[in-house]
Amino acid sequence: MERQEIIDGLIEVLRTVRTIDPERLNNVTEETDFLTDMNTPSTELINIAAKVEQKFDVEFEDDDIDNLGSKVKDIVDLIIRAKEREA
Amino acid sequence: MSNRKVAIVGMGGAFPDCADINEFNDKLFAGKSLIREWPLAVAYNKQIRSTVSGFIEAEEMGLEPIYMAPGNGFPETYVDNLNRIPAINLATADLGCIWAMLGAQDSIKQAGWTKDETESEQTGVVIGSGGGGNVIARHAWHAFFELGKKSRYAGGHTVDRAMAYREAANVSCLIKNKGVCESIISACATGLGNIGYAYRLIRFGLQDRAIAGGVEGTSLESFIGFDAMQVLSKGFAPAESSRPFDIRRNGFVSSFGAGIVALEEYEMAKARGAKIYAVIDEYFNNSDGDGNMFYPSYDGQRRLWKGLSANAHIKPDVVKVHGTATPVGDILELISVVDTLGENGYHVSAPKSQFGHMLGGAGSVELITAIMMLENQQVLPCLNSDTLNPELENFQKADGWKGSTKPAEAYRHLIPQQTLSKEINQIVCLNYGFGGTNSAMAISRDI
Repeated sequence: MERQEIIDGLIEVLRTVRTIDPERLNNVTEETDFLTDMNTPSTELINIAAKVEQKFDVEFEDDDIDNLGSKVKDIVDLIIRAKEREA
Repeated sequence: MSNRKVAIVGMGGAFPDCADINEFNDKLFAGKSLIREWPLAVAYNKQIRSTVSGFIEAEEMGLEPIYMAPGNGFPETYVDNLNRIPAINLATADLGCIWAMLGAQDSIKQAGWTKDETESEQTGVVIGSGGGGNVIARHAWHAFFELGKKSRYAGGHTVDRAMAYREAANVSCLIKNKGVCESIISACATGLGNIGYAYRLIRFGLQDRAIAGGVEGTSLESFIGFDAMQVLSKGFAPAESSRPFDIRRNGFVSSFGAGIVALEEYEMAKARGAKIYAVIDEYFNNSDGDGNMFYPSYDGQRRLWKGLSANAHIKPDVVKVHGTATPVGDILELISVVDTLGENGYHVSAPKSQFGHMLGGAGSVELITAIMMLENQQVLPCLNSDTLNPELENFQKADGWKGSTKPAEAYRHLIPQQTLSKEINQIVCLNYGFGGTNSAMAISRDI
């Protein structure tokens, strides 16, 4: 999967997270930070991870989630890593 | 100990087949039934006995479920299409919590409390429900135990959306009160129990205001437990299936809803010119003490009345009974009322005949119907109470029976079948729950 393809899928997921203002999803880049740029409540990050797992049909390692950064690129890396592991 | 008077100054909630509390009022006093065939139960037709309910779909309340993933059926959150509740509060709420929040908003609006009053240390929240957050818990447990998924599969809100006091917690986070936030949980006495507890907090000087009530969010998961006990009504058209006192009654209709009220210390409410819907004269609760989880107790109910009357003037014009339409409960309750109050001078109202049994929401929604009876000066009809037994009930023939030995038919005149207009100054509300818990509240017009 290409990184941009993953970002597009990720934004689709984020649009279903009601606590994220949709306006903030218009110019998302790899450097966008969930907590500081999107103002996502920290309690929602685990929901986003769970939804991403279901959307991309992958399962993350618990340690990866524990160490996950709060930028878009961190989730993209994680998805690629999980996909490679399962391939 | 202080002994202050308590006023009911606002109300709201969620009611089956009604867009709002005004429609609820209109349909009830027009003698309509709010019980319908429930499509979700019908979908499991082969596994279930009863398919009628006073249910409320999310969409009927202007809410839209958002699913965790397409097709998995798990409502990860709800969208409020009418923009009443912020998304941050919806994220921590199951359906019943949203109803409680909407009911709290309406109650506070009616009460006319300022932001400072609502957010005060003297404002409490006391709300509970009969069951757990079963819709939420089922999906989380299924994913973990059956599908072998990670614990996070159902998301990070399983605890706050399913915990026992979720309604109180969600309402408190919405209205930002700084006083008490608790739940009283006592099965089908929950709704009245929470309001009774909030009443005591104000009466004894611990709080000046409270948002209080009971909720039961629509849940087939909760419904099937009662269906399994074979205690639900079967074999009647939806509108005819809840039949308190009728000789053909064969069980209750399991329903859902929420009733929330705003309580305030009387002198404060009066001083600021609030509309006072009713004054609470007294609340009393006790237990059967006979070791029986389910069977109603004549002795427990007689002691309930005695406790209610001990320090208050109790002479009701209407007795709003629990009246579930189970074979034993109704007539035993009727006789405990008659043996306490006599055979004349009041009427008996069983609003479950119109909307079924809302479980943890029953006591509070039925208290709201009592407030409406006071407001309208009308007694609600007991639908489907077509024929009362001309013979004695079995429990009346048992050794040691201490109550009336007249059959139910002798009390026909107490149970109106159509809406009845008359002067109503005081109403006693009764609710009981599994475990042998009994609760009673008397309310009066403010005159």
